[in-house]
Amino acid sequence: MSGLALARGRAPGGEANLRWIDWIWHVRGAVTLEPGMSAAEALDRLEPLFRERGTRYERGGDALSFRKKDQPAQDRMAVFDSGTLRVEGGALRYDLASRMLLACFLAPLLFLAFAQATVVVGAWHQPAAEAPAAKPKALPMNPIDKALGAPEPEAPGKNGAEGIGRGKKPSHTPGYVFAGMFAVLYLVGRVLEARMVRALFVRKLAA
Amino acid sequence: MRVGKRIIGAQAPVTIGWENIPRVEGGPVKRAFFTWFQPTVLLGLLAFWYYAPNSIAKASTAIGIGIGFKVLLLGLEWVNPRFASWRLTWKELVTDLFYVGLGYTILRLVDSFIGSDALIKALMAQMHWEKLAWFTGLPLLVQAFLISFLFDFGQYWMHRGMHNWYPLWLTHSVHHYITQLNINKGAVGNPVELFLIGLGVGGFFDFLPRAALMAGAFGLAIGTYQHINVRFNSPRWWRFLFNTTEHHSLHHSQDYEATRSNYAGSYIFIDRMFGTCVDGEAELLGMEEGRRMSIREQMSFPFTEGWRTMKERLGGRTASAVPAE
Repeated sequence: MSGLALARGRAPGGEANLRWIDWIWHVRGAVTLEPGMSAAEALDRLEPLFRERGTRYERGGDALSFRKKDQPAQDRMAVFDSGTLRVEGGALRYDLASRMLLACFLAPLLFLAFAQATVVVGAWHQPAAEAPAAKPKALPMNPIDKALGAPEPEAPGKNGAEGIGRGKKPSHTPGYVFAGMFAVLYLVGRVLEARMVRALFVRKLAA
Repeated sequence: MRVGKRIIGAQAPVTIGWENIPRVEGGPVKRAFFTWFQPTVLLGLLAFWYYAPNSIAKASTAIGIGIGFKVLLLGLEWVNPRFASWRLTWKELVTDLFYVGLGYTILRLVDSFIGSDALIKALMAQMHWEKLAWFTGLPLLVQAFLISFLFDFGQYWMHRGMHNWYPLWLTHSVHHYITQLNINKGAVGNPVELFLIGLGVGGFFDFLPRAALMAGAFGLAIGTYQHINVRFNSPRWWRFLFNTTEHHSLHHSQDYEATRSNYAGSYIFIDRMFGTCVDGEAELLGMEEGRRMSIREQMSFPFTEGWRTMKERLGGRTASAVPAE
């Protein structure tokens, strides 16, 4: 097997090899057609779904293939960028690809990298020497606030009081939180979008 | 529709005038809820930050409240959407959260080195300037409003500049490719624009930590409604003073003239002061008749488009300098 073939994931039997991982961004499924429904009739019913801005499609025989670019959010199949629908053996079989599913799958890696970058930059940007702790200054309080019963202001650093924003070092925690969020979002999206597109096809075929 | 000297709505449908904007329909409880929700939240948050003990009045509490409030608003989007065509999909949610994530991570890291606060701090250290400390002696509410107003006033001019000067427009234009408004859509944009719009002069002032938290409450309880798919019956005084989804949807409409209005982030009275406020709303949003720009293109567009324009201009100049044979 050549290195080029490996790099492209298309070794002898490469398509099959890619199938081990392409479920990450491919949604495949089948919907059984009503008895007696022809392929042409089934595709006629589904065709309006592809008359959307940014969508190009073509029909040939018992199949319909499509490709989307810059599809608006209002497109009900906006999450998919390309795909094929084929009628065979009394069922509609579809194979749809989504770059957004792949991006969401990879997003946790990006945010983990951001978290690590924050750690590295934080370590590199350590102050040369710890400055002696300044004595917390008493903060003023306007008489109106005193009369209305607002708590006395507390200088940052006193009794564990936090400063607000300024001068605080960026934390790596958000990177980890967003990595976790995108991992969960991927799982939700992979299940939800597969169910939703199947329900859409079922509804259109029944109409 | 003529608004002052301008014709608005010639290119895409827009609704002008409060009397033409639909109201929340339903029973008295629902209508009362969607009428008083915004003022109640604003007053509630201000009262909370004003009276919260020092052990609670801190930035980590504000972050928690901010996240909780946005989750609540996502629920309201589900219950009472302004437009069915703006329904939040999984893809839109992921896209929006990607930008929110950038803001919390890499952009914050960059900001800590070259953000306006960092630059002002360096400048003040260099010039041996002290912060304007008289600010801290003002009543808390006044401090909070001034912090918030100063930032919004700066943002108004930066935003207006972005719509009027091509190099700045290049960075901001990608934000106008969104085709619907949802809670986190305010975070969508090219990182250069997000950096520019975050510039402020607040670093020159010293203020009480509690005032900063209250200023954050103004932003959260007013500015958040710029990008949201919820219909509210905002009280008349609210929509006179504050930016609303109606104002901002018009700013994002597919009609060019309509986009050149309503630049403020929170305080629409700044637009009223400078004659750029238009009261109305739009459902069809975006650029190029609603082309949705991918994240990849949003990242590169200001640079590729700027390069293309520069080549065209230079090419044009060269061509015009050479007489035709």
